[in-house]
Amino acid sequence: MYLIKRDDIKKIAHALEEKYTLYGPYLDEVYGQCFFDIVNGDTVNVNAPIPTNPPKQVVFPHLEKIMQYKYDKKAKKADIAMLFDDAPRALFGLRSCDLTGLQCIDRFFLGQEFVDEVYRHHRSRMFIVSNTCVVPFKQCFCVCTDSGPAANEGYDINLTDLGDSYLAEVGSEKGKAFIEAFHFPAATDEHAKLKQKLVEKSITMFEDIAVESKAWVSRVMNRVTTGFIKEEIWEYIGNQCLECGACSYVCPTCTCFNINDASTVEGNTYRLRTWDSCSYEGYSRMAGGHNPRKPIEDRRNKRFFCKLSYSQSKKYLRPGCVGCGRCAWVCPGDIGLPNVVTYIRREIHE
Amino acid sequence: MSEQKIVTVPEIATIEEIKDEIVDVKTFYLRFDNKEIDGNFKIKSGQFIMCTVFGAGEFAVSLPPSPENDRFHITVRKIGKVTDALHDLEVGDKVGVRGPFGNGFPFEEIKGKNVIYVAGGIGLIPLRSSIVHVLQHRNEFGRILLLYGSRSPQDLMYQYMLEQWQKIEGFETFITVDNGTPEWKGNVGIITTLFNKVEIPVENTVAFVCGPPVMFNAVIKELMQRGIKDDMIISTLERHMKCGVGKCQHCAIGRTLVCTDGPVYTYRQIKTLGEQI
Repeated sequence: MYLIKRDDIKKIAHALEEKYTLYGPYLDEVYGQCFFDIVNGDTVNVNAPIPTNPPKQVVFPHLEKIMQYKYDKKAKKADIAMLFDDAPRALFGLRSCDLTGLQCIDRFFLGQEFVDEVYRHHRSRMFIVSNTCVVPFKQCFCVCTDSGPAANEGYDINLTDLGDSYLAEVGSEKGKAFIEAFHFPAATDEHAKLKQKLVEKSITMFEDIAVESKAWVSRVMNRVTTGFIKEEIWEYIGNQCLECGACSYVCPTCTCFNINDASTVEGNTYRLRTWDSCSYEGYSRMAGGHNPRKPIEDRRNKRFFCKLSYSQSKKYLRPGCVGCGRCAWVCPGDIGLPNVVTYIRREIHE
Repeated sequence: MSEQKIVTVPEIATIEEIKDEIVDVKTFYLRFDNKEIDGNFKIKSGQFIMCTVFGAGEFAVSLPPSPENDRFHITVRKIGKVTDALHDLEVGDKVGVRGPFGNGFPFEEIKGKNVIYVAGGIGLIPLRSSIVHVLQHRNEFGRILLLYGSRSPQDLMYQYMLEQWQKIEGFETFITVDNGTPEWKGNVGIITTLFNKVEIPVENTVAFVCGPPVMFNAVIKELMQRGIKDDMIISTLERHMKCGVGKCQHCAIGRTLVCTDGPVYTYRQIKTLGEQI
């Protein structure tokens, strides 16, 4: 544990910038919104509110070339090459919900029978600096999903704003080697206790700040898993869905993708992997037009099954929702996850 | 080298022969260019592969060959962008293959039982593998029946195989068409009409059903009425697939993924998945 003066925090960002492509939150003056994207040591803003987009795009880009091939029909010759990207990237100022989301994706892509090689390469040389939320935001409910307000694991360095300085905790060998080079003063147990106090205080602040976002996830998990939820509830939820797919795009754990082959005029073809959303009608439509999941409520309950069911949790080793509140933030209907949990809970009388 | 499973990079295979089956359906006999793969590409009945048509894309397709002593081939209907492009290919052209994926039909578990195959239209393609495999081990099973229906005599799949099968002693084949032609001497009527003409074994019997959803539901009803239990009815499902290895989630049905948990399900499982067939 080290103590870093407020003004010195940029030193870390600058040092990371030398070895890695730096990603972090920044305040976009034009839109007045905070985004998570490529930044430099000067533009990164550790105090910025939770960004509108999760860091998912760094490890799972919206559109990416995963394979390239060329087929010479005359010579009957095909050349195939996978395109892997293992450029070093640093994520700076990650909130604990987003870090938990990243861990969910890790477990999903790397922890099952088949390892996703494209993802593994993205993830192979990554440096993560997380940031404790000493104050929650309006849409947050990470306390309901056990993913905040402070990260417990998965980071190389974790920062906590203690007021006049930051507490830096080390989470890996890589993080240790990195921060030792700065010769920051060591922090004491007092500082650790102070952090603990701040985290506890942050949890109590949810009651006043995140007034409308509460999701009693454990209460509905059983129902979602076993399917004992009335069809009318899914219809009610489905009727509010505009099929825009925004919830999937801003979700830190949604990773459904589509694959398309696109050819260039030179005769090269790229296999493209793009984000997809289970709310789209074409998602489950097969060649020939048969679509087993036609009504919108069928597709909507799929997403919440993914976030809230026990079966899916086995893949993430935790619920699929990390409580960042972005789905509620972007939904043009009124079916962000906290609301859906409420709708289902209302029907449970025992 | 042990058994091959091609997950990430498609292996290149050459089309050795193309056989016209029915309108818009062709069989493509394939051979892997990599000799090491060619001899070691072991499949199970009921599994599927992801086939790349260069320049067009990739599609999931069931495997009709038997796991033992059979030429590697796929039978594909021209139905979308990628399969259209596949049908335009000629002998000697290359395709990419990933797989085999999926759980496959049970084989050891059904030994000693009577086996009924019920297929509708091109639903015979995925069942072909199991039929041939079971016939290769004829004496390990009880009665073997095939109930097969299609729209018209021209729509009967694998006609040359059907003729062979009809000659095999102890393989009871019953064929029907929805709409007959003057030349058609066989049964006319939808597949369920066969059920009244055939003595169906019920005890110690397993039924494989594959066909369009309407036919599937009607057949299930007939089988259940006769007392065949839902866990003794086996089918293979079709879904929109992109990766084949449980990552893209397109084929999610209920809590399972058709690519890794399926595509073979018992009717008991299908009932609990809570989705249309």
